[in-house]
Amino acid sequence: MEVNNINSPSTPRWNSERPFLTGRFHQETKTMSRFAADSHSLGFGNAVGCYNAAVQELVVIDDLLSAMVGIQGRYISIKRVRGREDDFTFQVDASMDLTLQELAKRVFPLCESFMLINQFVESRSQFKNGLVNHAFAAALRALLLDYQAMVAQLEHQFRLGRLSLQGLWYYCQPMMGSMQALSTVIQKASVNNFVGSAVLNLVQSQAKAMAGDTAVRSLLEKMAECASNAYLGILERWVYEGVIDDPYGEFFIAENKFLQKESLTQDYDAKYWRQRYSLKDGIPSFLANTSGTILITGKYLNVMRECGHHVQVPVSENSKLMSFGSNHRYIECIKSAYDFASSELLNLMKEKYDLMGKLRSIKHYLLLDQGDFLVHFMDIARDELMKKLDDISVEKLQSLLDLALRSTAAAADPCHEDLTCCVETSSLLRRLGTFKDSEKNRNVLDDNDLEEPLSLTGLETFSLNYKVRWPLSIVISKKALTKYQLIFSLPFHCKHVERQLCGAWQVHQFVALNMRGTAISRSSLLCRSMLKFINSLLHYLTFEVLEPNWHVMHNRLQTAKSIDEVIQHHDFFLDKCLRGCLLLLPGFLKKMERLKSLCLQYASATQWLIMMLFSNLRGSLMQSFGAWHQYLSSSSQAETVFDSSCTGILGIGNDQ
Amino acid sequence: MPREIITLQVGQCGNQIGMEFWKQLCLEHGISKDGILEDFATQGGDRKDVFFYQADDQHYIPRALLIDLEPRVINGIQNSEYRNLYNHENIFVSDHGGGAGNNWASGYDQGKGVEEAIMDMIDREADGSDSLEGFVLCHSIAGGTGSGMGSYLLETLNDRYSKKLVQTYSVFPNQMETSDVVVQPYNSLLTLKRLTLNADCVVVLDNTALNRIAVERLHLTNPTFAQTNSLVSTVMSASTTTLRYPGYMNNDLVGLLASLIPTPRCHFLMTGYTPLTVERQANVIRKTTVLDVMRRLLQTKNIMVSSYARTKEASQAKYISILNIIQGEVDPTQVHESLQRIRERKLVNFIEWGPASIQVALSRKSPYVQTAHRVSGLMLASHTSIRHLFSKCLSQYSLLRKKQAFLDNYRKFPMFAENDLSEFDESRDILESLVDEYKACESPDYIKWGMEDPDHILTGEGSAAGTVDPKLAV
Repeated sequence: MEVNNINSPSTPRWNSERPFLTGRFHQETKTMSRFAADSHSLGFGNAVGCYNAAVQELVVIDDLLSAMVGIQGRYISIKRVRGREDDFTFQVDASMDLTLQELAKRVFPLCESFMLINQFVESRSQFKNGLVNHAFAAALRALLLDYQAMVAQLEHQFRLGRLSLQGLWYYCQPMMGSMQALSTVIQKASVNNFVGSAVLNLVQSQAKAMAGDTAVRSLLEKMAECASNAYLGILERWVYEGVIDDPYGEFFIAENKFLQKESLTQDYDAKYWRQRYSLKDGIPSFLANTSGTILITGKYLNVMRECGHHVQVPVSENSKLMSFGSNHRYIECIKSAYDFASSELLNLMKEKYDLMGKLRSIKHYLLLDQGDFLVHFMDIARDELMKKLDDISVEKLQSLLDLALRSTAAAADPCHEDLTCCVETSSLLRRLGTFKDSEKNRNVLDDNDLEEPLSLTGLETFSLNYKVRWPLSIVISKKALTKYQLIFSLPFHCKHVERQLCGAWQVHQFVALNMRGTAISRSSLLCRSMLKFINSLLHYLTFEVLEPNWHVMHNRLQTAKSIDEVIQHHDFFLDKCLRGCLLLLPGFLKKMERLKSLCLQYASATQWLIMMLFSNLRGSLMQSFGAWHQYLSSSSQAETVFDSSCTGILGIGNDQ
Repeated sequence: MPREIITLQVGQCGNQIGMEFWKQLCLEHGISKDGILEDFATQGGDRKDVFFYQADDQHYIPRALLIDLEPRVINGIQNSEYRNLYNHENIFVSDHGGGAGNNWASGYDQGKGVEEAIMDMIDREADGSDSLEGFVLCHSIAGGTGSGMGSYLLETLNDRYSKKLVQTYSVFPNQMETSDVVVQPYNSLLTLKRLTLNADCVVVLDNTALNRIAVERLHLTNPTFAQTNSLVSTVMSASTTTLRYPGYMNNDLVGLLASLIPTPRCHFLMTGYTPLTVERQANVIRKTTVLDVMRRLLQTKNIMVSSYARTKEASQAKYISILNIIQGEVDPTQVHESLQRIRERKLVNFIEWGPASIQVALSRKSPYVQTAHRVSGLMLASHTSIRHLFSKCLSQYSLLRKKQAFLDNYRKFPMFAENDLSEFDESRDILESLVDEYKACESPDYIKWGMEDPDHILTGEGSAAGTVDPKLAV
């Protein structure tokens, strides 16, 4: 894993330049002294072999004690491959007594391990290696201190003359395994240049692999625990405060700062909620199962922070994320933090930001649940809505809308000011086409299928908009709002048709005298059929689709545990409504549009004709009657078509 | 304030049921007896402005006119605890206070006399509303004032406000007890002509059926007028809930009526309400579900119009349209299910000449009125069996007319002066053709009805043209 992208302070030059700070001076001075030894400038020029065994033993012990802390002795030398820091071998003077040589060689692995570990500690302590490495190195350093103390004690014994080579070996043995295991771990770590969670995974897996060796295992586990301390600190801040405090990029959650929360209300495909925070590779294995929960917990905390609502998961002594021990307490801690965060956020959304109230208010307007404002609005805005698209003044519509809202039951709703109106540029069918396009990349209908009717008026394209603010925009995103708007268009237009038919009905009412057998009585029956159709359609849309689904969603939201669940239920509701309102079946919609336009034609023709009939009762009576009959004979055909198609549509609608 | 409705209460009965209606509305909207909004009722969500308007001091005043020719009932209202609710300018009691003597002709004639005064009041109310939707008239058809003066008002409204809807709540007399009004059949017939020609919608409240319901369903041995009137006010307030508590549909009167009334003349609606309770009566409280309520609404015993049909005729009677207004805590998912069940069991007999189905409107219930039942329902229906009610009126009229009984009282008035009884004949013709039309609705080829005898075109037209022409020339 690379950490180059993270701006860590670089290790100052003096640190690496001064060997006395890093402990490398031992080797370097010795190298120099070896050159000196090579030139026989030292007093001990003699080969060790020329002393008797007892002396040789003393010399070897002395040298071994040095070698154990990485210092070259007189007869034990460190051979290193040039340029490679971690590739070296210990050698003992060949003239030495063979038994002593063998005994000394047994101690060499310990010395090598020490040197490797020491080097690792030095190199990993540099800034760029990240907190986990630092912590790991610090733990190793502490271990090495113990080790050095032991060497010092051995030396003390040696000075007192109580230490034989056998004794040294005896004392060294217990540490051998641990040091060896550690050195293999660090070798792997340094070869792969591990940082962050990879180190943790390595140490842990090694610890598991050493199951048979209790001592080594517990040592490695301790190391893993120490190394993960820093990591758990990051985790703790994330899970408890929602802050990513991760200077070296080791944490497994990434923040994408380019995704702004404002995009939720503007961008149809806003990714904020899904991608603002995401999981990276390199999740520590002990957190792998809970990574999702961890991500969400911090995400929720972040939302609350963005709302200016400072929350802190209540932290008690035993909820500290101290270890990831096998007792899985850390999982419980994460779980409780998650529960806290999700319930807190849900409460915040529901109580302070009144999510349900907003949804209800949207339902009042966009789902026409409170139809009286619409009746009034259509009354006062009729002329404006009848205009062609380009002539409509949105400002005027807006002021009329405000007027309608103020003077109807909607006035009691504190949210009604968030409602604005807008005029779409294309018809519902076309919008659905583009909507589906973006949704599924499904093949759209042929373009000529979606030929815009030339006389597109405000009635077909009028739509409402609703101002949704952060954080509610998480639930009611632009996409959700678009769906609401699509749903709105259909019943809105149906209402318009219904009103026109009601107008026609009222005109018939004027002629309450006995018109039996005339065209008017037939016309009134046709009017009734059309009203029945549009009413059934509206009834189906509202009482069989919107209301029951709303009811279901409402109940689900009451019991939802987290905001993600809320989003899911809400989206599900919208999709179900879209489907229920037949908006995903363009074929049906087109048939419905045709029927509706037939109704509209009929309504306007009827109103005009009957008015004509009675205003010019004497003059053009016969003429109008002729026209009337003609119209009706064509419409009686329509009538049959009409009846069969509405039963068809409603039948299918009910099956849904 | 959009879509206002002005209520006219005419005559003794009209004022009584009107008062009950306003009492009920006040309760439901949390308006006190003095018209002041109660503290607990400020949360809104309802539409008070359809039936009320606010005075300068914000107290609510009903858009109601109280009209009578005798002072008794109106005095009673003015001495009741609701005396401050009404606008006193809107109360009209004739100066002589002698009433109409249960004589339609007298009521009609007096109506003509005071037309100006009353129309002034109506104009003032109409001017006070932004977009008046229509009028509601409460009256009885049997007495003198409600029927006679009511008839006159209907004609005048139709003339003056031709574009406004006129809905009436008409109380039909109790046939079971011998009435003190012997000329009841005359009055009824003459009023029914105006109801047929000059109203857009008539909600029939049959006192016979109301009494029966009170006795059978509420187990009252001797139901008082107050008790039957409370049934009426329940129906009236329930039928206006969709206007007062806006929902998905039927938020204006025209929308409500247009879906119910098939042809201009078949505009008589029956009602049914369940579960019924009367004040201070501990009824057995039932479990109410949507299906339950809908099913009960279809039972004849819950219908507030008595059926005089013989069995054979009754089996042929058909529903033309049904609107069920369901109030209360309704699980909307049940609606579809219930409709399906009713359809499957063929509980409703619909006309065959056009699409028909039960329409449902879910409406909120007033939060300020506590009811024992969770769901309640009102049915508004156009049903062909209502013709038997008219037939009954016709036969009673014929009996009386054959005897030439009590006609002298009518001859005193200009309309029937010089023994000109053509008004009676004409009314009978119109009512008969209405009965015929309802009967024709029962047959599958109603659409062709009337086509074969085009003479009929002329029968109605000749006489009614005089009233129709000017109003449409506007």
